[in-house]
Amino acid sequence: MVSRVLAAVGAGYAFAAGAVALLAVALPAVAGMAHSEAVVLAAMLGFIIYLLVLLWAAVEPRLWRVWAGLLGGAALSWVLALGIRLPVAA
Amino acid sequence: MTARLRQAMAGLHTWAGVCLGTLLFIIFWMGSLSVFDREIDRWMMPATRLPAPAATPSLDATVVPVAERLAAGAAMWTVVLPGARVPAIELRYTDGQGQPVRRHIDPASGRLLPEAGSVGASGFFFPFHFRLHLRFADLGYWLVGAAGMAMLVLLVSGVIVHRRIFSDFFTFRPTRALPRAVLDVHNLSGVLVLPFHFVITLSGLIIFFAIYFPAAYQVAYTGAAGGARAAFDQAAFGSWQRPASGRPGELASLDAMLATARALWQGREAYQVRVRHPGDAAAYVEIRRSVADDIPMNIDRLIFDGTSGRLLHRHGARPVMAVQRFIAGLHFIQFRHGLLRGLYFVAGLAGCMMIGSGLLFWLAARRRRGAGAGMRLVEALTVGGMTGTMIATLAFLLANRLLPAELAGRAGVEMQVFFGVWVLGFCHAALRPHEAWRAQSRMIGLAAVAAVVLNTLTTGLHPLAAVAAGQWAVAGVDGVLLLSAGLAGWAARHGRRSSTAAHAAVDGGHG
Repeated sequence: MVSRVLAAVGAGYAFAAGAVALLAVALPAVAGMAHSEAVVLAAMLGFIIYLLVLLWAAVEPRLWRVWAGLLGGAALSWVLALGIRLPVAA
Repeated sequence: MTARLRQAMAGLHTWAGVCLGTLLFIIFWMGSLSVFDREIDRWMMPATRLPAPAATPSLDATVVPVAERLAAGAAMWTVVLPGARVPAIELRYTDGQGQPVRRHIDPASGRLLPEAGSVGASGFFFPFHFRLHLRFADLGYWLVGAAGMAMLVLLVSGVIVHRRIFSDFFTFRPTRALPRAVLDVHNLSGVLVLPFHFVITLSGLIIFFAIYFPAAYQVAYTGAAGGARAAFDQAAFGSWQRPASGRPGELASLDAMLATARALWQGREAYQVRVRHPGDAAAYVEIRRSVADDIPMNIDRLIFDGTSGRLLHRHGARPVMAVQRFIAGLHFIQFRHGLLRGLYFVAGLAGCMMIGSGLLFWLAARRRRGAGAGMRLVEALTVGGMTGTMIATLAFLLANRLLPAELAGRAGVEMQVFFGVWVLGFCHAALRPHEAWRAQSRMIGLAAVAAVVLNTLTTGLHPLAAVAAGQWAVAGVDGVLLLSAGLAGWAARHGRRSSTAAHAAVDGGHG
């Protein structure tokens, strides 16, 4: 129970924040969006992503999959986000 | 839908509700009060009960002399222009001790009104709603954010758990045994106002996107000159700044700048004028457009040179930001619409009712299985958090009318009264668990009546006189106080010991 809450709230937030960071740098690179606009859109979507993650973490019967999915997903999105990061046009 | 999924959701709903329900109740309560914060401000600051100004007053004649005298040496001062809800001009600045100051000026005569000695509802209930007055490390924001995410989880899991969502519209059995009746209140208030609850919670989170997901701008603006946050604020919100020069300068006409602003905005009005580095040759003036005209909380702003009055910079929201501002506008309802504001108030209280009855259902169902230490704790937190918060709110209003005007640090004492009474409410609930509901309901009734009586005695404006004088803000606050007194009295009298909690829950929704 404690482990599931930690996974959902903690690892879930790391995953959501990673996805937000990835979107914030990927949208300008892929869709040509302005940086500030991508930041706002990514952060707004972040709340929906986090909500879905919290619900999934509560429902998934195998706890190890929750941990693995969230930590793996978080690591992947953070690595990609920091990799794509573009120089900001002033 | 599988039984397993429903079971998982039921567990999630129970635990998220029990752990964060009381905090959510407090946030919904403070949010509901904040809908009418300006009206409560008029009640709490009698000197500002002025007729609505007919025309925009001249800032050069009324505000500038006062500001140059009071805010001499301040890094900036801000003027909020008067309107229908705030009939006085507001002048804000930080004094020599670093304390924020808010003074009012009569727009008709230019007279500086006496100090309010109160931060009012807009300075207390409103920040309470989103940061709980916990400034350390943004802790308050994060607690409210966690409660907000929990609210979304509770809404989704609640819909999945309740299999008969449509028939719940029409089910209310107040005469049935306690847990069933309370559950009906919970379902009824939850289902009827479900879309509002989802939108208000999600929009509340989205307002603070930059606090809750700082990763977005930190990654996107890494290495930007002046820091990631400043670079993002500049691009998204049009923050504009320049340092002071150290040489003295004369402030150009603010009225002329307002006229230019009105022309650039096709006749739409400004609501705020901020002068930075006043008295300096590098002074500049930021003018923001009113948010009373339409739903989005626009971020249209103009920057003028302080000494020449020349336009330096113009900003408006880009498309995605405009969507964010629309969502924020749905939450803040600062646009002119009194009826809708009333509906927000009622829907917010329905949220309190849903949260409260959910907690009471859990307590009532648990009590049948015997009381443990954990249950005692939740019970005390629930009573203290619900009726105790209402009593503390009323104590804040009573202190406002009772404390002498010349008391040093009066505004701070008002807030200390709130927190003191709040703590007492929790202690009372913990020590007298069986009587707390009825006793606190009775106290709500008495305090609400006392507030109306004290307002009449100290300002000479009883509710009917307020109606006759067109003081709708004062009449409205008094009216809601009297209504809650009636409901609280009814709850205290009719609540038999076994079902006290159910009535208190109903009362909680209307208080």
